[in-house]
Amino acid sequence: MKLHACLLSLSAAALLALGLPGPAFAESAPYESYNYDSWSDAVPAPAAYLPEKSVSGADLGVGDFVEPSDIAVSARGLLYIVDSGNARIVVVDGDWRVKSVIDRFERDGQPDGFSNPTGLYVDEAEQLYVADSGHSRIVVLGADGAFIRTIEKPSSDILPDGFAFTPLKVAVDKAGRVYVVAKGIFEGIMQFDGSGAFIGYVGTNKVSPDYAEYFWRMLSTKAQKAQMVLFVPTEFSNLDMDGKGFLFATNIDPGSREPIKRLNPSGDDVLKRFGYFDVAGDIRYRSAVGPSRMIDVNVRESGLYSVLDSSQGKVFTYDHEGNLLYIYGGKGSQRGTVKTPAAIEQLGDRQLVLDRGRASIEVYAPTRYGSAVNKAAGLHYTGDERQAVPAWKEVLKLNANFDLAYIGIGKSLLMERKNKEAMTYFELGMDRDSYSVAFKRYRREVMKEHFGTALTILLAAVAAYALWRLAGRRLLRGGRSAGPPPPWTSSKAKEG
Amino acid sequence: MKRSDLSFPLHLIVHPFDGYWDLKYDGRGRVRIALIVLGLVVVSTIVQSQYAGFLVNYNDPRQLNSIVQLLTIVVPFFLWCVSNWSITTLLDGEGKFKEIVMATGYALVPMALIYLPMTVASRFMVMEETAFYYLMLSVASLWFVALLFVGTMTVHQYTALKTIVTMALTVAVMGIIVFLGTLVASMAQQMIEFVVNIYRELSFRT
Repeated sequence: MKLHACLLSLSAAALLALGLPGPAFAESAPYESYNYDSWSDAVPAPAAYLPEKSVSGADLGVGDFVEPSDIAVSARGLLYIVDSGNARIVVVDGDWRVKSVIDRFERDGQPDGFSNPTGLYVDEAEQLYVADSGHSRIVVLGADGAFIRTIEKPSSDILPDGFAFTPLKVAVDKAGRVYVVAKGIFEGIMQFDGSGAFIGYVGTNKVSPDYAEYFWRMLSTKAQKAQMVLFVPTEFSNLDMDGKGFLFATNIDPGSREPIKRLNPSGDDVLKRFGYFDVAGDIRYRSAVGPSRMIDVNVRESGLYSVLDSSQGKVFTYDHEGNLLYIYGGKGSQRGTVKTPAAIEQLGDRQLVLDRGRASIEVYAPTRYGSAVNKAAGLHYTGDERQAVPAWKEVLKLNANFDLAYIGIGKSLLMERKNKEAMTYFELGMDRDSYSVAFKRYRREVMKEHFGTALTILLAAVAAYALWRLAGRRLLRGGRSAGPPPPWTSSKAKEG
Repeated sequence: MKRSDLSFPLHLIVHPFDGYWDLKYDGRGRVRIALIVLGLVVVSTIVQSQYAGFLVNYNDPRQLNSIVQLLTIVVPFFLWCVSNWSITTLLDGEGKFKEIVMATGYALVPMALIYLPMTVASRFMVMEETAFYYLMLSVASLWFVALLFVGTMTVHQYTALKTIVTMALTVAVMGIIVFLGTLVASMAQQMIEFVVNIYRELSFRT
């Protein structure tokens, strides 16, 4: 009996010593929160966002959604839900009250409606651009839901004859140009001008050459070649427009190092990727799970952007320089997890993830940690490094593994010319370039400070040496005392 | 140990042809010194990976292991010596195993000399100056290879071309030894397993 108790306590102690996994701070989150450190290792982090509630069509009183595929939040703070299966658009205000349901409109006196709408964009004038995929067109509606115009299947020399126009996602820039992701279009994003005329493609995904594949192709016969997979660029999966008129686009390309692009008006990718690793969601994953598949991107305040990973149901948030700030969300059947994520938006400070599989919207609220990171990143974006320090300190209080916070504090210290302290912080944040700058200044400081002393010591040493040499020569002249010849010459001398 | 034994390696690295000749025919080399040099290289490598400046040190401190570092230097060293001896015995080399160890050990002297000071210096460097650090490390490696070349050539009394061929073959033989070693280890493991299994089977049956 005594032995048994002893064994029990021993095993309990062993369990304690081993440390069972389970971060205490993430008790209420149905997913694990983590981030990657500068060694590209996943380390636990506090949850930045926690599930607040789940909203379905029935909750809103408009009947259940059927396969909803997109959500959009307008500048006025209205939430538009594209309810594809019911061919309608539900408009909800910030307090989750239904403002209107758009399921038909009047076109040239004739009643018209949607057929499987899949995408939506709301511009600054609150005009709706609906990707009406079943009718192969984009419908533009006014703020009141009145019909304005459509963008139909374009005709152009560069389009093939049997071309089927199936718009999936849509975005509009300040100049009124319409960007469309269409099904089966590998050339890039279709671009239309303000009047609806097709201009051309932007931002083609490049096919990266695979040399092993190339080698096999050289060896294989024509018949084998015909059976091989065609290497076509991947399609884009979604679009968003940022405040400066740059187009954010995601593409589902497993293994791509650049699944997220920020396209300038001429179609070049200008996304900053200054972080320790690729802006590509998970950088470590099990081979059974595979890399992240980016399904939607949401441009947020102060240069932040969140991307939605459809394979894991996770949301990755990056700052304007491409540093990964936090990861939250996951797949599952618990509240706060998703089944088939389809779209992400921001409503106020809440993050909304549209779950197509469960036909509901998951609402995530920022935690103290998430708010602190957002605030600090925002101040860093506007260049207020000094004001960002308290926010970064708050972040560090909750997560001492956050490299960016150390770098942020270091940069502020560097501005205040506290070079030694800045060095410490840059080393903690593993920022070698900034460390070098701080160290250079610190070294110069120290050298300036001790230059006088060093020169005095040097002069004294030179004087002492001169005196010693002088005294030595006097002695040498007195009595001849040559040192022994170098050891390696002696044997040679003997031989010769 | 005489003072000249200690100063001889320093003479050898700057006068390799003379030095290796004296090492072989005047008996100036000492195996003990060669092993001390090897030890110094191990120590300076460990110190370097632990204490080199932040700007040049890309090692993850959580994964540094002095034993592993020791083995990654000592094992290839003796592997080289054994393979070189094996191959030169077949190719009319004049060197004895002792001489090969000495030649290889003495060739490591530049590394032992350069690594430690550069580790100290790297702590005072900014990003732009780290190029100098890498330059010095490359100099140490090239110097080592050149010394090894001259050492092999002199110890075995080879021509330059034959030395190059021998060195290439030595590397190949190192690979073969490692392969055979793994093979033997794996076979031995399976045989032991087999015997253990039979013993277990019998003991369970009775």
